[in-house]
Amino acid sequence: MILVQLVTDGLLVGAVYALLSSGLTLIWGMMNVVNFAHGDFVMLAMYVAFIAVTTLAIGPALFVPLAALVLFGVGVVVYYALIRNVMRGPMLAQILSTFGLGLVLRYAMFWVFSANFVSLPDTLVGGVLSVDGLRLQYSRLLAGVVALLLTAALHLMLTRTALGSRLLAVAEDRTAAMLVGIRPDPMQALAWGIGAACAGVAGALIALFFYISPLVGDSLVLIAFVTVCLGGFGSVPGALFAGLAIGVIESLSSWFIGAAWKDVVVYGLFLLALWVRPQGLLGKS
Amino acid sequence: MLLEAQGIVKLFGGFRAVDGADLSLNRGEIVGLIGPNGAGKSTFFNCLAGDLRPNAGRIVFDGHDLTLATPEAHARRGLARTWQVPVVFAEMAVRDNVMVGAFLRHPQARAARRKADEVLEFTGLAAQADAPAGSLGTLGRKRLEIARALATEPSLLLLDEALAGLNATETQVAIDLVRGIHARGVTLIIVEHVMSVILSLAQRAVVFNQGHVIAAGAPQAVIEDEAVIEAYLGKRFRRPVP
Amino acid sequence: MKKRHLLFVVLGILVLAWPLVLHGVFIQHVAALLVLAAISASAWNIVGGYGGQVSIGHAMFFGAGAYGALAAYTDFGWPPVAGVPLGIIAALLIAVLVGLPTFRLQGHYFSMATIAAVELLRILLSNVSVLGASVGLMGPARPRGLADLSFRSPVPYYYLFLAVLALLLVVTAWMERSRLGFYLRAIRGGERGARSLGVPVVRTKLIALMISAGFTALAGGLYALMVGFIDPESGFGLLISVKMVIIAALGGAGTLWGPLVGAAILIPLEESTNALFGGSGTGATYVVYGAIIVLISRFLPGGIAELVQLLSVKARRRAA
Ligand SMILES: Nc1ncnc2c1ncn2[C@@H]1O[C@H](COP(=O)(O)OP(=O)(O)OP(=O)(O)O)[C@@H](O)[C@H]1O
Ligand SMILES: [Mg+2]
Repeated sequence: MILVQLVTDGLLVGAVYALLSSGLTLIWGMMNVVNFAHGDFVMLAMYVAFIAVTTLAIGPALFVPLAALVLFGVGVVVYYALIRNVMRGPMLAQILSTFGLGLVLRYAMFWVFSANFVSLPDTLVGGVLSVDGLRLQYSRLLAGVVALLLTAALHLMLTRTALGSRLLAVAEDRTAAMLVGIRPDPMQALAWGIGAACAGVAGALIALFFYISPLVGDSLVLIAFVTVCLGGFGSVPGALFAGLAIGVIESLSSWFIGAAWKDVVVYGLFLLALWVRPQGLLGKS
Repeated sequence: MLLEAQGIVKLFGGFRAVDGADLSLNRGEIVGLIGPNGAGKSTFFNCLAGDLRPNAGRIVFDGHDLTLATPEAHARRGLARTWQVPVVFAEMAVRDNVMVGAFLRHPQARAARRKADEVLEFTGLAAQADAPAGSLGTLGRKRLEIARALATEPSLLLLDEALAGLNATETQVAIDLVRGIHARGVTLIIVEHVMSVILSLAQRAVVFNQGHVIAAGAPQAVIEDEAVIEAYLGKRFRRPVP
Repeated sequence: MKKRHLLFVVLGILVLAWPLVLHGVFIQHVAALLVLAAISASAWNIVGGYGGQVSIGHAMFFGAGAYGALAAYTDFGWPPVAGVPLGIIAALLIAVLVGLPTFRLQGHYFSMATIAAVELLRILLSNVSVLGASVGLMGPARPRGLADLSFRSPVPYYYLFLAVLALLLVVTAWMERSRLGFYLRAIRGGERGARSLGVPVVRTKLIALMISAGFTALAGGLYALMVGFIDPESGFGLLISVKMVIIAALGGAGTLWGPLVGAAILIPLEESTNALFGGSGTGATYVVYGAIIVLISRFLPGGIAELVQLLSVKARRRAA
C-alpha cells in the first residue's frame, strides 16, 4: 500500500516537473539555448502567486493564469532584450546571459523578501482525498492534474495546430522557414513566452503545497535539466515521461533512503545519463 | 591505390543522401567530383573525412581501414579537407589558424610557426597573417582553409567548392594554386560546379547523382555523356536555381 | 614597447612593496582576497576562457582543495598545508569523472553537468561526518608551529598568494604559446574545424580541465589556510563558482591578464557593496554580480580586454 501511495505522490509531483521541463525543452529545441534562469522563472511565479494571494486574496483559479501571463511577458521581454542578441554569439555569452539573469532575479527577491520561507495558506486548497486507504492532498492533486493537462495541451498545440507547425518549422531550419515566409523572431519570442509561462504555471502550482524562497529555483532548474536530458532535448512527450519518472524516483528514494538523499539520487542519475546516453533516454541517436 | 571507398551509404532519417557510392584514387591524381545540387557530394566528402559515419560501406586510405575512424585520425593519416561553408576560427589570427594545422606534425611552437609562415607564403596569405580570421571575406576564408589543411602536410586533400564564386582572374590564380599543391605531391579530389575548372585541372571526372556515381572517365568525355546531361538538365528543369 | 616594460616594472614594485607602507588590516585583507580570487579566476580561465568550456561548477575543485587542507588537520592532525596535495588529487579525480563523459558533447552539457556535480558533492559533504557534515571544518585555533602557516596579519598570505599567482601566470603564458593553447582556442573556435585538423578534442579539454582543477584546488587550499574554516556553502556553494566565471569574463575570458583585471575591479566592488548594503547577507552584491554578467554577455562578450582592444584600434586609426 505504501508503495502505491509513494508512486501516486511521485506521479503528481512528476507531472509538475514535466510541465516546467516542457518549457525548458521547448526553448532548447527551438534555438539550442539553455535557459539557466528557468528555475528562477519558477521561483518568480511562486512569488507572483504569493503576492496575489496576500494582496488580492484571489484563489488558484485566478493566480495560476496570472502567473502564466506575467511569466509569458517576462519570457518575451527576455527574448527581445537579451537572447536575440546573444544566441549567435560565443558560448560563454549565451550561458552567462541567462545565468546572470537568474542571479539577478534570485537575489533581487532575496533582497526584497530576505531568505525567509513563506508559503500560501494551507486552507487555500485544503483537505485530503481518501480513496481505498490512499491519501491524496487536494493541493497536490490539483497541481498534478492541471500540469498533466497543460503538458498534453502544449504537445497537441505543437503537433496539431498551424501555430505549432510554424514554431516547429523555425526550430527545424530557420532559413528554410524564412524562405516560406515565417519570420523567426516572433516565433522564437513566442517560444520564450510559452516556455516561461510553463515555468509560471508550474511555479504557481508548486506554491500550493511547497514553501517559497528566493533560492527554491536552484534545485528545480537541476530537476528540469535532468528531465530534459532523460527525455531527449526538445521533446515534450519525452519531458512528460521523464518528469513523471523523476517524480516517482524522488518520492521512492526519499522514503527508502532519506529525504536528504533524494537530490543526490536525482543528480547522480543525471550524470549517469550523460555518461551512458548523452542524447537522452527517449531521444533519437 | 591511395584511397578506396566502396558502397558508401549515408542516411539522414530515411533519406539516402549517399547511396552506394564508390570511388578509388591513385596517388598523384586530381579527380573532379561533379554533380547537380543536392547530389550528395558534400555528404560523401564528410564520410571520406570521418566527419560523418557512413551507414554502410568501407573506406580504406593508404592501407588503413578508416571507415569508422574519427576526423582527427583521418588528419593524422594524411587526409585533409576544406568545407563548402568555411569553418575558420574567427577569433584567431590567420597565422594562428594555420599553426593549429601545423602543430599536427610539428609539436614545437617554433617549428609550427615556421611551417605556417611557409604555407601562408605559398598560398598568398602572408600579408594578412596577423589579421583575425573573422575579418576575411568568404574568398579569404576559403583560401585560409586550404592553407590550414596544407599545414597538416596531407597526402590527400579534399576541396569542396574551394573555387566557387571567384571571377575569371581569381579563378586563374586559384587554379595555379591547386596546380602548385599538386606539384608538391598532394593528391586531390575537387568538387566544383564550374566545368572549365574541372576541364583544366582534373585528369579524371566522377559524376554524382542521387548519392551515387553515374559516370566516370576523362572530363571531356564525361560531360558529353548522355546520362550526365540528363541528370543536370533534369534537375535544372525541375528545380530552377534560386 | 619600452614604455610598456617600464609600466610592468613599476606595477610589479607597487604590487610587492605597498604592504610595507599601508598598514590597514582591512586593505591588506582585501588585497589577499583579491589575489586569491585572481588565482581561482585564472585557473578557471584555462578551460573556461581559452577552451570555451564554461564550467559553472568550479567550486567543486575549490572545495576539494579547501577540504583537503582542513580534513588533514582535523582527521590526521597534519598541518593544513600538508593536506593541500590531497585536495588537489581529489580535484583531479573529480575533473576526470566529470570531464570524460561530457566533453564528447556540446558546450552547454558541460555547464549543466558541472552544476549538477557540484551540487551533488555539496549535498554529499553535508552528510559526511568525518568531513564535518553541514557544520564544516576548522583549522588549528592557534598555530602549533610555523608549519601550520597560521598568521595574524594578512600580509604573509598576500605574498604566498602572489607567489602562486605568479606561478599560474607563468604556466598560462607558456600554455598560450604552446600547442595546448592553440588547440584550446581552436576548440573554442569550432570543434568540427579543429578535429579536421587533427586536434584531439576530448584529450585536449581534459588536460586543460585537469590543469585548471589543480590550480583551483590549490586556491581552495590557500583559502582554507588563511580563513581556517570551511563548510559546504563556502567550499562548494554556487556563488563560489559564479565568482570565478564573472571575474574572468569581466576582465576578458581567454586572455592572460583578464582575470587579474576582473579581480582588481570586482573584489573591491564586492567589499564596498557589502559595506554599503550591510553585509553580504542582503543579496545586493549578487544582484550587482548578475547584472554585470548580463551586461557583459549582451554588450561586451570579450570583457574589458575587448574594450581595450577596440579603444586602441580606434586610437591608432585616429593617429594614422
Ligand atoms: N545534416 C543533414 N541532415 C539532413 N539532410 C541533409 C544533411 N546534410 C545534407 N542533407 C541533404 O542531403 C542531400 C545531399 O546534400 P549534399 O550537401 O551532400 O549535396 P551536394 O552534392 O554537396 O550539393 P551542393 O552542390 O549544393 O553542395 C541534400 O538533399 C541535402 O538536403
Ligand atoms: Mg556540397
